[in-house]
Amino acid sequence: MSALGGPKQTGGIQPPTAMGLVIGIVLIVAALALAYLLVQMAGLIALVGIIIGGVLIAFGVHFVPVGGAPAAMGQAPGIATGVAMLAAGAGLAGLFGGAWAAPLGFGVALAGGAIGGGLLMAITCTMVNVIYVFGMGIPAASGKVDKDPITGDTFPEFKSQGTEGHGLPFISWVGGVIGGALGGLGGTLIYLQLLDVYQAQLPVILNATVEQIAPVAVSLAGIFAVGMFLVNAVLAAYNITGTIEGPHDPKFKRFPRAIIAAAVASAVTGIFAIGLLQLVGVF
Amino acid sequence: MSVKVEVGAGGIPHNQILIYGLVGSLVLIYLTYLNTITGTEYFSFFGGLAAVVALLWGTDTIKHLCSYGLGTGVPSAGMIALGSGVVAALFGATTGPFAPIVTIIIAAIIGAVAGLMANAVVRMDIPVMVVSLIELAIVGAMTILGLSAMACGTFEFLGMITGEIAILGFIVQSYEFSLIGGSIIAVIFMLGAIAIQHSFNACLGPGEQQDRTLMLAAECGFLSMIPIAIISFAFIGMYAALISLVVSIVGWLYTYKKYIELSQRDAYAWLDAQPILEPKGGA
Amino acid sequence: MEEIVFGIGITALAGALATVAGAAEDVESDIGSQGDPNSQVQLAPQMGYIHRIFNKAIAGEPPAYGLWVALGAGLAWAFMAMQINPILAIVLGSALAVFVQGIYATTAYLGRTASLAKFGQPVYIDILKSMTTVTMAHAFIAIFATVAMCHLMISALGHPFPLPLLGIVWGIALGAAGSATGNPFYGKERQYQEQKFGAGVPISASGNIVRYAEAGQRNSLDNGFFSAKLGGPASGICFGLIVFFELWRTVVFEEFNIWGPIVVGVVVILVFAIIDRYIEVWARKNFGPYTAPEATEEASS
Repeated sequence: MSALGGPKQTGGIQPPTAMGLVIGIVLIVAALALAYLLVQMAGLIALVGIIIGGVLIAFGVHFVPVGGAPAAMGQAPGIATGVAMLAAGAGLAGLFGGAWAAPLGFGVALAGGAIGGGLLMAITCTMVNVIYVFGMGIPAASGKVDKDPITGDTFPEFKSQGTEGHGLPFISWVGGVIGGALGGLGGTLIYLQLLDVYQAQLPVILNATVEQIAPVAVSLAGIFAVGMFLVNAVLAAYNITGTIEGPHDPKFKRFPRAIIAAAVASAVTGIFAIGLLQLVGVF
Repeated sequence: MSVKVEVGAGGIPHNQILIYGLVGSLVLIYLTYLNTITGTEYFSFFGGLAAVVALLWGTDTIKHLCSYGLGTGVPSAGMIALGSGVVAALFGATTGPFAPIVTIIIAAIIGAVAGLMANAVVRMDIPVMVVSLIELAIVGAMTILGLSAMACGTFEFLGMITGEIAILGFIVQSYEFSLIGGSIIAVIFMLGAIAIQHSFNACLGPGEQQDRTLMLAAECGFLSMIPIAIISFAFIGMYAALISLVVSIVGWLYTYKKYIELSQRDAYAWLDAQPILEPKGGA
Repeated sequence: MEEIVFGIGITALAGALATVAGAAEDVESDIGSQGDPNSQVQLAPQMGYIHRIFNKAIAGEPPAYGLWVALGAGLAWAFMAMQINPILAIVLGSALAVFVQGIYATTAYLGRTASLAKFGQPVYIDILKSMTTVTMAHAFIAIFATVAMCHLMISALGHPFPLPLLGIVWGIALGAAGSATGNPFYGKERQYQEQKFGAGVPISASGNIVRYAEAGQRNSLDNGFFSAKLGGPASGICFGLIVFFELWRTVVFEEFNIWGPIVVGVVVILVFAIIDRYIEVWARKNFGPYTAPEATEEASS
């Protein structure tokens, strides 16, 4: 991304304000109650699924190693693109696999979504390392930690002068795959919940068969899944102020904030998505 | 290592643009209701014009928000705007003639929640965050509703999910060949997501001028109308779609020409096939 | 069995189309300096380095390609709904999407450059004339290949998503794969060619991009030649592998067991983990270490 916003460097982690937490909890409870009133138990389960999906997306974004513009210059470790968008690429590739496997059952579809997202990140991260090593002659060196928590490699002696580290250490590779898998899982979960709701309600409202309304149900669930994915991913990107190296980065510890924010935002957007068909034909 | 986001000062105050944008897009989108009243489809293009007005307003909002430095690129603001907007727009569409007003209310709720979460939980602590995200969600929702109305001639949900297809000369009602059934809503989503942030993203820098940025916003709006006008040939009558196409092309040509003139006015020099002008005193 | 063979054929074709799309996408974005290397093209005039590089800042690559491919797919869908032959519909849809891409490219260059007037960066309109067309040509290949691939997935493999929705999914994935793989190669090796090979660009050198070519002054077409050597093909392989494995594991192994694709997916991820680790260790053995391990860490700003 053309990252032209200056990252705000704040010392330590500011906890969420009490007001924010209270409003968040109230909103989630209100949304759950509304879902139960509108669509009974099915609505409640669907909304819980959407909230979990949103939380998984926001959590997953924190794993994806993204260095932004400095990474493209070998000045910072990570993948050289925007964090929300890379996560979206992985999550939507997962959604592709999950939606394809949807008729085979809930568990298979979820696993398919997760593996789809993880696969995209595994291949992308490997090719990024191919470019770093064979195209630019740069070995991996993290700027935030001295030692890779998985492989035990040490980094300071591989870091070139005047940079914050570069390349993509193995811990970041693993983080990327986990992030992609969580994103794919979350996106697919949102999609499947909404698809269930629409496939149950649309035939009744339109007096049509499930096959006839399938394109509408798939499209609605798909575009809402994409929309909610982006809202949650951007909130998570705001939380990490643009760049992160992966699970070993100190910024990773900020994730509880994003999880709260994503849960509330998913609950509110989710209730409107679930209640979408309640007013059709009323006016 | 990122460039500071700088914006030019002066120009029309933001609140004035807000009021013009809100009222203008609401009035223009209601003009498409003439289609239902008169039983024709010739007024569809007003939906596109509503989107143009909304985008003008959204551009100014993004400029205000991004001058604080979000830590991630300008494009993410467009993504969160349209992500919240798509849910609000489709929910609003189900309320028949009240669609535009309900859309604005729902978008404001979703935007407020996202803004509150960003400020109080993720601790962005940007003073204009809540207001800006409310505005952006409304802009995103109005853009989607406006372009949808332009494509299929109505902003009502049932009109968006039913289409007609000629099979062997017979006109058959079908859910598959509709705005939502065919996922044209996804195209509108992306058109809006890029158009809303492009003008500010493309014009940022110390020499940013409000009139040039807004002219580009109008250009992006009319440019987005062109493909929608072409797509609308699949949904509405030939002549109605032709009117939309002519309006979009005329509007686009005018704004594009004006934008080039404004760029020529603001540029340091306007050169054709000249070498690099090294600054005095050398680099 | 016949169905599987047919599916494998479609999978291979989709993978090939994706490879072409990925390569074209990266070269296109590098000619336009889109994505992250854009920040340096933007920064250079502010540091006093006036240049003749195309500065095409249209969002990041993933959202931009999300739009181009979704738009091409949406227009193709509309043309198909108007009873136009699918191949012609995809060509027409991609051509119109490229028109939108070209206009966005020109407005981005004019806007960014005009806003840099304070630093004495002029607008070179010959850049617009010669380079926009080249990026449009590359974008056409990328969009056409991706939309055609999406159409195959629906009509031959039976994916439930409508064409435009699939366009958004694979468009964003294409942009993500292309920008992740191709950007560092262009950003570091080309823009900062004068810096030492095998090391990151020191932050103090930021903005000092290479502005002169072997003969005359560098323009973005020179960057296209350069990207086409490694960054483009690598992006193509990246996106091609993603599409191929994603389809292959489902098409081939779903027949045996519904959990088959998932097991195979995990195995493929583990294989890539081994490849990645091998590359990393190889680099550590051959390139470093730059300082003795006990030396104090260089101060980084």
